Amino acid sequence: MVVIRVPAPLRAYTGGAREIEVQGKTVASALSDLASRHPALRPHLFDDRGDLRPFVNLFLNEEDVRMLQGTATPLDENDRLMIVPSIAGGSSAADSLRPVDHAALRTNQAMIIGVLLGAFISDGTWLVLLVSLILALGSLTGRPGFLPLYRILRSARLFKPDVVPDHPEPHRFAQALGSAFLLAGWLALAVGLEAAGWALAWIVIALAALNLFAGLCIGCLVYYWLSRIGAPGFSKSPPEGARPGRRPPSASGTI
Amino acid sequence: MTLQVSRTLLDQIRRHGEASYPDEGAGLLYGEAHGDDRRATALRPLANTHPKGERRRRYRIDPTDMMAAEDEAEALGLDVVGVFHSHPDHPAEASETDREWALPWFSYLITSVRFGRAAETRSWRLVDDRSIMIEEPLLVAQEA
Repeated sequence: MVVIRVPAPLRAYTGGAREIEVQGKTVASALSDLASRHPALRPHLFDDRGDLRPFVNLFLNEEDVRMLQGTATPLDENDRLMIVPSIAGGSSAADSLRPVDHAALRTNQAMIIGVLLGAFISDGTWLVLLVSLILALGSLTGRPGFLPLYRILRSARLFKPDVVPDHPEPHRFAQALGSAFLLAGWLALAVGLEAAGWALAWIVIALAALNLFAGLCIGCLVYYWLSRIGAPGFSKSPPEGARPGRRPPSASGTI
Repeated sequence: MTLQVSRTLLDQIRRHGEASYPDEGAGLLYGEAHGDDRRATALRPLANTHPKGERRRRYRIDPTDMMAAEDEAEALGLDVVGVFHSHPDHPAEASETDREWALPWFSYLITSVRFGRAAETRSWRLVDDRSIMIEEPLLVAQEA
């Protein structure tokens, strides 16, 4: 007789028995005898095609049968076969990364800087509102607000796309933040608070420039911080291997 | 359907999650089952053997560690009744990955670790048809 040891999670299907004596000349026939003695155990050991489930490990006298001859491994009298489940899991499945074109994001930042500087020089208050609305529209549609312009530039081959697997949400949030700052700035300008209004516009210029020239997205950083403290609606963590607020590394073969 | 742990044991589990941060930390719970209720009385912290670089989101316990733990629990007159692991900067909710790999009957104790500090700890079990994991009440006893 061969003894099979059943782990605690499967004992509900063996009437509580920890060790079961079975007949069998090989690992496969011993398992088949076990399954015929305790039919409820079968679906937890084998899949629909009769193959051993991937999370079922078998150890013969403390040696993994995969290192021996698999389920064809011969058994001797008094051998002890242990069923050892694989234990695994984790906070999230492969995070839903999507292709994000960072060249389009940089075009967006350059346009924000350019139009807002133009607004400041020409005292064009309405341009502040225009940029705010473009960013709000971009944030609502989940795309960079100045995407149409980028498409023209790209079709003229002035830009090479820079597509990497990334979360679109933090960029969307960063745009919304920029839009809110500019809206507040425009309102301040509209009621005559010149200094406060232009200060808000300059904050947006500075943050866009930091992103464009130093590659650091403060809005994304804020998003990931909110995610870390568990703020509702902020569920994404920085992609594997990426520092928060920085462009994630290109993953070969994924795009 | 409940899981009872002592305050001391729960603290050890939470410290283990903090010490493993920013990676996920994991280990096994030893205890006694009484019908559908169980009481964890000892624990075995184990190495997260998932490939480096993915350990912030995943954990895996080596089957040889699992086998040794089953022997250890048996020598103590106990059973392996569950698994504990941490979710760095994620809520203490059983994820889709947790469900895919879950075993029936085990209690899955999850501690959220935010900024390196243990936040909430919750316990989950897989339903029989494997479709979802449901939360079970976690009873914390003041004395061991």
